Amino acid sequence: MLNTSPLPPEQPTPGSTTTPTQPAPTAAPPPPLPGAPGTDPAERVPIAGMFGASEAILRQPQRVWFQLTQAGQLQLILVLLGIAILGALAYGLVVGTFTGGDQLWAAPVKIAGGLLISGLICLPSLYIFACLSGAHTRLAEVCGLVAGLLALTTVLLIGFAPVAWVFSQSTESVAAMGALHLAFAAIAVGFGMKFLARGFEQLNARFGGGLRVWTIIFVLVLLQMTAALRPILGTSDAFLPGEKKFFVSHWTDSLKSSGGGAGRR
Amino acid sequence: MNLARQIPTLLRGETESVAPWTDTASPARVGTWLAVTVGGSAAFGAAMGWWRAPEQALFTAVKLPLVLLFTALGNALLNAMLAPLLGVNIGLRQSLLAVLMSFTIAGAILGGVAPLLAFVIWNAPPLAQSASAGTTHAFILLTIVAAIAFAGIAANLRLLRLLERLGGTASVARRVLFAWLSINLFLGSQLAWILRPFVGSPGLPVQFLRDEPLKGSFYEAVFYSLRRLFLD
Repeated sequence: MLNTSPLPPEQPTPGSTTTPTQPAPTAAPPPPLPGAPGTDPAERVPIAGMFGASEAILRQPQRVWFQLTQAGQLQLILVLLGIAILGALAYGLVVGTFTGGDQLWAAPVKIAGGLLISGLICLPSLYIFACLSGAHTRLAEVCGLVAGLLALTTVLLIGFAPVAWVFSQSTESVAAMGALHLAFAAIAVGFGMKFLARGFEQLNARFGGGLRVWTIIFVLVLLQMTAALRPILGTSDAFLPGEKKFFVSHWTDSLKSSGGGAGRR
Repeated sequence: MNLARQIPTLLRGETESVAPWTDTASPARVGTWLAVTVGGSAAFGAAMGWWRAPEQALFTAVKLPLVLLFTALGNALLNAMLAPLLGVNIGLRQSLLAVLMSFTIAGAILGGVAPLLAFVIWNAPPLAQSASAGTTHAFILLTIVAAIAFAGIAANLRLLRLLERLGGTASVARRVLFAWLSINLFLGSQLAWILRPFVGSPGLPVQFLRDEPLKGSFYEAVFYSLRRLFLD
């Protein structure tokens, strides 16, 4: 948890020569560390709305980390999840334009659902790993960091969306589009993971080994979602597949059928 | 301390906060530990049994917590006798509470990884199909074993630190932990044998207990398997 706390306006600022009229409390919180979230007054301004949160997560991650430790954290978590859902739906729409038809609604639903379910599946283990590593962090803060990871990932994916759309209109190859989307997702998730890891550091909850293991688990779950919710690109008679497959064999099969001339429809 | 906050404290292994909890058995605190142990292991058991059939998920969700609780209770007296003999001067209540704490940690970890196991099993072919496929079957079994081993190791490392705190030296704590682990494994294996199946073989019906569950023992089964493997 943070070793900072918001300073009420009536309190003297650190270093002030003003004599306090009230006796100082005996158990005063320790002074904030230099560079810790909340030391900059701008980071103490509450984050309002989805646009504000999107901007904060890109430009002022410290503000997000600080606000996740404050009283209104639940509202911020919901806003971050809202960004993640809307962002995933928007990027999914671009993914769906490759095939068109039913995929225009199925791909957004699958991408948004897959991302949220992945976060939900991996959240308990992240909290357990954090505690086992000795990190002093609360479940709500971990929820907030995962929501931030998902939000930042989808915000970046929206940034990639125009590029993805241009390619989806140019190529017929499912394998090529799949590889492109995977590359974009890898970059976006990479930045998201960085947000999560730095967030834990800022919350004085650093845990290197456990977080690395969790990152591998989270990425594997995300990759398996591409097989569990297939097809996200291309067409199928059913919304979800009847046959269970490991993602590697799904990709191998996709590459083989793409090599045999399989296209978008 | 808030009851819900005790679990993260246990997981972090903060022995200075945890050691006094062995002095008094607060019903609310013990209730919380039992709830976490039962809830976490039941969730993991449900995911494990689901691989075979939904009915088996329910059965395993009931049986896995029973193995943990019966092991802790069955060995409580012996654990309490061995601890002072080996150098940690604690009584029955303290030793039982220490073991319960370690099972709570294991339960919390199992509960934390249960959604991951459920996801792996949801993505796997049905057991009847995968048993012949081999690789998937082996992968899931290894995942289950790895999760249980991780939970057990983490719980026992925390218990070791607690015993060091209660007993004073690392060597004494190691001795006591080794003794406790040995008898817990000895009884736990047999209890698991009696309460089998947990996943179940695709060739056998889904049952809460096998016919004649008390016939034979885990160790006899291991002995006959080894004899078949090396002598037949």
